[in-house]
Amino acid sequence: MAELDKLFDSIVAGKLEPAVEVTGQIIEERLDIQLIINNYMIKAMEEIGDRFQRQQAYVPELLMAARAMKGSLDLLKPHMKGEKAATIGKIVIGTVFGDLHDIGKNLVASMFEGCGFEVVNVGVNISAAKFIETVKQEKPDILCLSALLTTTMSYMKVVIEELEKEGLRNQVKIMVGGAPVNDLFARQIGADGYSNNANAAVIKAKELLCIA
Amino acid sequence: MKINMKEWIASLLASGERKAIPVMTHSGIELLGRTVYDAVTSGDIHYQAVKLLADKYPSAASSVIMDLTVEAEAFGAEIHYSEDAVPSVVGRLVATPEEVEGLVIPSLDKARVPEYIKASRQIAADATKPVIAGCIGPYSLAGRLYDMSEIMMAMYIEPDCIKMLLGKCTEFIKRYCLALKEAGVNGVLIAEPAAGLLSNEACREFSSLYVREIVEAVQDDYFSVFLHNCGNTGQCTEAMVYTGASGYHFGNGIDMLAALEQCPKNVLVMGNIDPVSMFKMASPQALYDKTLDLLTRTAAYPNFVLSSGCDTPPEVPFENIEMFYQALADFNQQRK
Repeated sequence: MAELDKLFDSIVAGKLEPAVEVTGQIIEERLDIQLIINNYMIKAMEEIGDRFQRQQAYVPELLMAARAMKGSLDLLKPHMKGEKAATIGKIVIGTVFGDLHDIGKNLVASMFEGCGFEVVNVGVNISAAKFIETVKQEKPDILCLSALLTTTMSYMKVVIEELEKEGLRNQVKIMVGGAPVNDLFARQIGADGYSNNANAAVIKAKELLCIA
Repeated sequence: MKINMKEWIASLLASGERKAIPVMTHSGIELLGRTVYDAVTSGDIHYQAVKLLADKYPSAASSVIMDLTVEAEAFGAEIHYSEDAVPSVVGRLVATPEEVEGLVIPSLDKARVPEYIKASRQIAADATKPVIAGCIGPYSLAGRLYDMSEIMMAMYIEPDCIKMLLGKCTEFIKRYCLALKEAGVNGVLIAEPAAGLLSNEACREFSSLYVREIVEAVQDDYFSVFLHNCGNTGQCTEAMVYTGASGYHFGNGIDMLAALEQCPKNVLVMGNIDPVSMFKMASPQALYDKTLDLLTRTAAYPNFVLSSGCDTPPEVPFENIEMFYQALADFNQQRK
């Protein structure tokens, strides 16, 4: 019988192999996948997130947990036909035009993915036109804009203004992040949310999408 | 200028007057009317920018450009340049244990390393105060070569591979620091921000052990190592101190008083005015108030040195820089 507590513990501990092993048992035993995702896997990511907030876990531990979660989810997805998709929301994320920094953006993208979001990572040096094209095409719930430089962070405002001009602004929530960005700046440029670390980004995204 | 740094540090500790060493060069580049690209590719321009700032402001020591791509470029990483921003590393240079094993530790004549050594040589030759050169830390360099997200997982999945990479990064940084020392500077600020994302234990295992190796190889009476970690929010100060550096430089994410409590009393502890929200974006009065508040709160610690929390970005208003130093002057005046 599938050891569901072991799945929870493996994700929290960032151990891919045992997580995958239990996932195989879940598939074999035709258990309720959505229930297991909600009650064990997402709960495990919440647990590691809580530990991060309490400084009992750090970015590597978050990433390892996200890797274990993703490994299990990838196995489960093909068995979810006809059921609610194994994603809690869709996110497009990219670093704005003029900025080629991707360390923070990729950390955040990995965490989103590990926490059950579908992530479209469009890369770095992304123009407003490219963001708009991607929003039209992918129809994400949230658009995440990243910048490391004080000289490029102002481009986030350009992207938001262009989304407004295209009539897309109300169709997508916008989150911003990066070393020079803060909450005040986020509000000034009309973003919906800001976070200063990968875990807080997940919490904020869930808050914006009203996911408990 | 040859300076006994142990005596210099002791003189700062004994002095009743608080000193400031902001990590600031972009303002010098702007005073010079040049671009960031000019300064990061030319040792001459780099030197002129640092000299302008050294002459204009009463910092206790001069710092150089915090450019965390110089070493990665020497290893062969692709670098993106722009006119008005520090360069950035593009993509990933190594991804497998075989690639790490095959990675050659570059010589010091690769990429822009000679320009940075040249800048340090010129600044030191012309200096009237200590010159603290700069380089990246081993973990931050390894992360740039391996991909930062990937290294944070590979530390646990393939620790031997990552330690091999860290060993190569450490060896290069050690040689680079020795060359900077030979060029005549008085110390080096090793920037290890990525290690601030780790737990204390992981920071010690994957960063501090290697930084300590560098410290032991290069630090002496006439050359000090200062360790910068603006990613540390307080969890890995103990690991930083394990390196045995002569000073620690903290970012604005840390409680400066807690950091001062955790550091030995005989080393310099520097920080931590926010370079963006304060230096660049705050009003001059707000920056003045914040600086004076920090100085007041840290007044009981003789080893505190006022600084920016990281390198100050381009386009900091000069009025703000004036107010930073004005707060320092007023604080010192009040203490007399």
